[in-house]
Amino acid sequence: MKEKSAQFRVIENKSLEVSGSFEIFNAKGELLKSEGPIYLCRCGLSENKPFCDGKHKNSGFTG
Amino acid sequence: MEDPRNRQYTNDEITVFWKPAKCVHATTCFRELIEVFNPGRRPWVDMSAASTQRIIEVTDKCPTDAIVWKYNKDLSENELQASTSTSEEVNPETLSTDPETKPAKVTIMKDGPIVVEGEFKVIDSNGNELKSMIMTSFCRCGGSHSMPYCDGRHRKIGFNDKK
Repeated sequence: MKEKSAQFRVIENKSLEVSGSFEIFNAKGELLKSEGPIYLCRCGLSENKPFCDGKHKNSGFTG
Repeated sequence: MEDPRNRQYTNDEITVFWKPAKCVHATTCFRELIEVFNPGRRPWVDMSAASTQRIIEVTDKCPTDAIVWKYNKDLSENELQASTSTSEEVNPETLSTDPETKPAKVTIMKDGPIVVEGEFKVIDSNGNELKSMIMTSFCRCGGSHSMPYCDGRHRKIGFNDKK
């Protein structure tokens, strides 16, 4: 069975949603996650990086 | 026979040679110096975006010699002429990869962007597909002027994973 290819949804002024077939590694090459959907921080403010924790709210982050 | 996809990029001091056939998508060039080596841009190499010294440092880290450099004073006649080539450019993003479907590889760079390689697509909030590619890097510091993609600004603003 062919898995659905990975999809990155750029949610305006919020996070990056990752779904489909993917593997996320840290800089050391350790596997963090391979099942979605997951939400990655785009604003730089999360206290749970690389994942979103909602800190973009009320921060004025745009992008 | 010279590969017609080869390109070269120059500033006042050096010329960088790009040989797509040798690229294995190590992504070292654009992880370290996306201001100069940006696969999402045409042309993908901007020799004016960093110092010659910095371009040399990063070019020397390419593991396969897909990018190499020479001082302009050392260029051969052929190399001097080749710099005027105008045919369509191939860059690390438009190169074809393994036809087998594999999970997209996503790497969270330390104090840097989200680097994505492999088979994937990017959509906006409304489901509209953004440009297709086989390699990209998303901004993670919130400071890019090229959202949602990294433009190297995490270094200027001192982005740190721990803060």
